[in-house]
Amino acid sequence: MIPDFTAPLIDWAALAPLLVVLGAGVVGVLVEAFVPDAVRRATQITLALAALAATVVLIVLRWGLIVGSDGAPGVSDVLVGGTVMVTPFALALQGTIVVLAFLGALVVADRTSSGQDAFAPTAAAVPGTSYEDLARRAGLQQTEVYPLLMFATGGMMLFVATDDLLMMFVALEVLSLPLYVLCATARRRRLLSQEAAAKYFLLGAFASALFIFGVALIYGFAGTVRLIGDEDKPGVIRRVLSGDAPLDGMTVLVVAGILLVLVGLLFKLGAVPFHAWTPDVYAGAPTPITGFMAACTKVAAVGALVKVLYTLVVGLPPEVGEQLRTVVIVVAILTMALGTVVGAVQTDIKRLLAYSSIAHAGFLLVAVAGINLESLRAVLFYMVAYGVATVGAFGVVTLVRERTVVPGRADGADGEDGVVLGEATHLSQWAGLGRRAPWLTAAFALFLLSMAGIPLTAGFVAKFGAFGAAVAGDLWWLAVVGVLASVVAVFFYVRVIVLMMFTPPAEEQLLAGAEARAQEAATGTGDEAEAAEASSGAEPAGGGVATETRTEVARTVVTVVGSRGPAAVAIAVCAVATLVLGVFPGPVLELAGEAIKFVP
Amino acid sequence: MTPGLEVSGGETMLFWVLAPLMVLAALGLLFVRRAVHAAMCLVFVMISLAIMYVAQEAPFLGVVQVVVYTGAVMMLFLFVLMLVGVDASDSLTETIKGQRWIGVLLGLGFAVVLTGVVAQATFQSPVGLESANAVTNPVALARVLFGDYVLAMEAVGVLLVTAATGALVLTHRRQLTTRRTQRTTADARVRALTEGVSLTPLPAPGVYAQNNAMDTPALDPAGRPVPESVPRVLRIRGQERSVTALLDAEAAIVGTDTSGDAVGPPAGLPAGQDPDSTPTLPAREA
Repeated sequence: MIPDFTAPLIDWAALAPLLVVLGAGVVGVLVEAFVPDAVRRATQITLALAALAATVVLIVLRWGLIVGSDGAPGVSDVLVGGTVMVTPFALALQGTIVVLAFLGALVVADRTSSGQDAFAPTAAAVPGTSYEDLARRAGLQQTEVYPLLMFATGGMMLFVATDDLLMMFVALEVLSLPLYVLCATARRRRLLSQEAAAKYFLLGAFASALFIFGVALIYGFAGTVRLIGDEDKPGVIRRVLSGDAPLDGMTVLVVAGILLVLVGLLFKLGAVPFHAWTPDVYAGAPTPITGFMAACTKVAAVGALVKVLYTLVVGLPPEVGEQLRTVVIVVAILTMALGTVVGAVQTDIKRLLAYSSIAHAGFLLVAVAGINLESLRAVLFYMVAYGVATVGAFGVVTLVRERTVVPGRADGADGEDGVVLGEATHLSQWAGLGRRAPWLTAAFALFLLSMAGIPLTAGFVAKFGAFGAAVAGDLWWLAVVGVLASVVAVFFYVRVIVLMMFTPPAEEQLLAGAEARAQEAATGTGDEAEAAEASSGAEPAGGGVATETRTEVARTVVTVVGSRGPAAVAIAVCAVATLVLGVFPGPVLELAGEAIKFVP
Repeated sequence: MTPGLEVSGGETMLFWVLAPLMVLAALGLLFVRRAVHAAMCLVFVMISLAIMYVAQEAPFLGVVQVVVYTGAVMMLFLFVLMLVGVDASDSLTETIKGQRWIGVLLGLGFAVVLTGVVAQATFQSPVGLESANAVTNPVALARVLFGDYVLAMEAVGVLLVTAATGALVLTHRRQLTTRRTQRTTADARVRALTEGVSLTPLPAPGVYAQNNAMDTPALDPAGRPVPESVPRVLRIRGQERSVTALLDAEAAIVGTDTSGDAVGPPAGLPAGQDPDSTPTLPAREA
């Protein structure tokens, strides 16, 4: 007779970080139901930020236990019968995710001085209907955003901390589903936002299907979905090493399985050829969500990728490992090439950042392809550096907006007139931003420089580590390719910086052109003067240039709205972190070094 | 082969009958043009799969397959199809040139690779069914789900909460205007009385011996035409028929000269008038 059911031993304290985040999400849903409109938004924000902050504390407390001290090894990392496995590496990734989610949530919570956040009053309203106007005037708020953010964060934390492929699949869905919904909630350009959500959902569903197909093949090979497992329930690796996998010797099955699982993970990472969703989704989603998604999803995806790849490569025959490594190398090269080359011709700032994130996925894969402990450290540091720069950069994008100019109020430089519209995402609108908002521009330039990998920023240390890891893995030529791609990438980052700092804004260019024409008219012959007047359609030359632009009936200018606090804090923290990590990377590198000590 | 795991003749036959049909239905899913047919193919595949599960001693999975997939998911599919319209067909316009062929090519390549991989597999005799099902299949499954995978179950719970929240976010519209009920409509009409709106239905158009149409006004008890009895649109367009002309034409046919009565009282038929001499009263307006 089979013994009775024994309840699994669950170390609740060890699971606490995860439970706090997911629990905050569930409580947030209840808040939606029971808390009155007036205080709901404040309650949700407080709850979300408090939960994330508490999680950071819990992770820090757990860190000491799990890493252990000299001589005393850390506590067991296997929880809930092995489905959850919080290794120091996983805990470090979780910490990174939660910190970035906290910064991302700050940007999400900011309403800016225009008094509106980035989300539609109600995402259910059909774009362009009278109901939409009604909802806006009624002052509705889509506060479900915050519980969904919590769920996504929780899913990511689970994604990087599991030894079980089925659990990983569930976590993949838990992290994806809220993101699909969040993508569709943009306040402006709503059709684009909904299109982005539909695309992300459909392609994501395909990627998930391939992932689970791969898991099925691995199960067929090994008779288990655990990666490592333990004595009682051996995982893939143990079974392969002990030679008692049901289809032992048929490594082609497990290779096909791993490749399909990798497809699912590379999709989330945004690596070529599974990158097609990235630009559209990044551009269509509400910008704070884009920042959160770009930073945190990447950490989760690369964490899971490293987990699967590094665990399985150890156990499988060396030639299989070599094949898998080749795949990663090819994907890395393609990703870097496409990200940098296509990114260089973008004219929309959000798309540019999207291609930049694709390129970064490539650089990360360079580090991953190294397959050694050095790679793990490099990946960890890279994720921190890239994450803070990305959250910060998208935070800045939320503040650069368009504003309508009421006719007769000239260039709008002085006025409080006009309605603040959506984000000014076209690159030409960013010209001369440095004069309007020097600090914001400086921060953005810093983030771009970090992404480009210029020394004294976090990005430099990160890239140095990544390419160093490739060299340590005898892939010096891949490192060279990476460096070349970085050089191309520098071009498009610097292009934006030059545009912001040294190009006069579009309105001034207009004015300057008119001035030139006016002077020409004043000094030239009569014919020329008439021609000039006719061509510019302006008032007589003596009328002054200030009135020149008033001839247009209605137009928009670029304006920088003030933050109400949270976003400014997030941007400032990101900027400081980028600088500090660039100048004194030591402590974080040390932490990353501790995190990889006990990786199998 | 381990004793107790021989595949019986019946099961073999079941497999070879169902499996080819399932493959056909699965192919049909790809190639039929109507969405409803595709859905029916999918139903067939799912139910056959459920039968297979039961045959392979996984009764719980078989029942779940029927209840959840065929019962719930497929019905939702069909509801959606009904909403979209049974006859709706996808636009086959390619937005990217050659997209379809690239897709077919890649799909074929993928299929070839996977077929090659799976075909290479040499399966050993199955083991472990006995011990797995020792405490009946559902109980054994429950032990796995609530033992090893208890956290995964809870994560799936979170997933369901997310799905419900997401569906509400994307579809639920709050009532922002006051709801229109019979009472509010009635109250509004009574309030509008002062603006000349009538509480009762408007009178129907007139019916005459030779004429029964929307454009002819009815006569009120005093014999005067009622303008409201003609639809507003016709009145605005000036397509209202004149009652006088109508009555004159009728009188001409009947053969009575009504010209002498032209000055008759507009308030209606005088009490003492002979009905034979004046069959109808011309209700003329001055």
